[in-house]
Amino acid sequence: MVEGRKKSRTFRRVFKKTPGGITKKYYLKRKPAKAQCAGCRQNLKGVPRERPFKMQNMPKTKKRPDRPYGGVLCSRCMRKKIIEQIRKVSKQ
Amino acid sequence: MISIGRICVKIAGRDAGKRCVIVDILDGPFVLIDGETRRKRCNIMHLEPLEQKIDIKKGASHEEIKDIFTKMGITARDTKPKAKTTRPHKLRRSKLAKDVKTETAKTAKPAEKKTATKTVKKETTEKTEKPKKTVKKEE
Repeated sequence: MVEGRKKSRTFRRVFKKTPGGITKKYYLKRKPAKAQCAGCRQNLKGVPRERPFKMQNMPKTKKRPDRPYGGVLCSRCMRKKIIEQIRKVSKQ
Repeated sequence: MISIGRICVKIAGRDAGKRCVIVDILDGPFVLIDGETRRKRCNIMHLEPLEQKIDIKKGASHEEIKDIFTKMGITARDTKPKAKTTRPHKLRRSKLAKDVKTETAKTAKPAEKKTATKTVKKETTEKTEKPKKTVKKEE
């Protein structure tokens, strides 16, 4: 029997084949939700879906795209935002 | 709006939000830009043209543009030229074997000694090694 805490669905189950040929069940913590754009709520690309302890050890360049608002806005929303800023300045 | 000397803002990629000037007009939708951004080919769709325009020649050098940009109060980007380095590349096995042979031929006596010591060491290690315990992980 497994431990009581593992019976709940807080853990995700992963089946892995061992070198001996037996499939074993592993209980792992669930991953956080996918990163979303703050403008249009689309799933962001280039942002890994990992637990915080893994994200800490990752280099910065692997955590978000290298551009302004990278990892916060999608590329379309970023373009819109920059164009808005430019036009505000040019009107004044 | 797209003409040589037009000042634009780049709206895509790592240089997004930075000001640049069109230096040359290339084939298709591409132009050559320079300034706060890297000096590179760029699609027109990735540029937002401004009202400002400066007098430059077609294909003006980076230094000329840098002077004009400093007068405008913008710091132009300087790319450092990379120092040339020789790439380490693997030799073929056949070539390596030849090299080893020639080396061993030059220094025949010490090589033999080395091999002798190695075999002795191996024997000793085999004796000392204990059979590893196989620990089964639960879950």
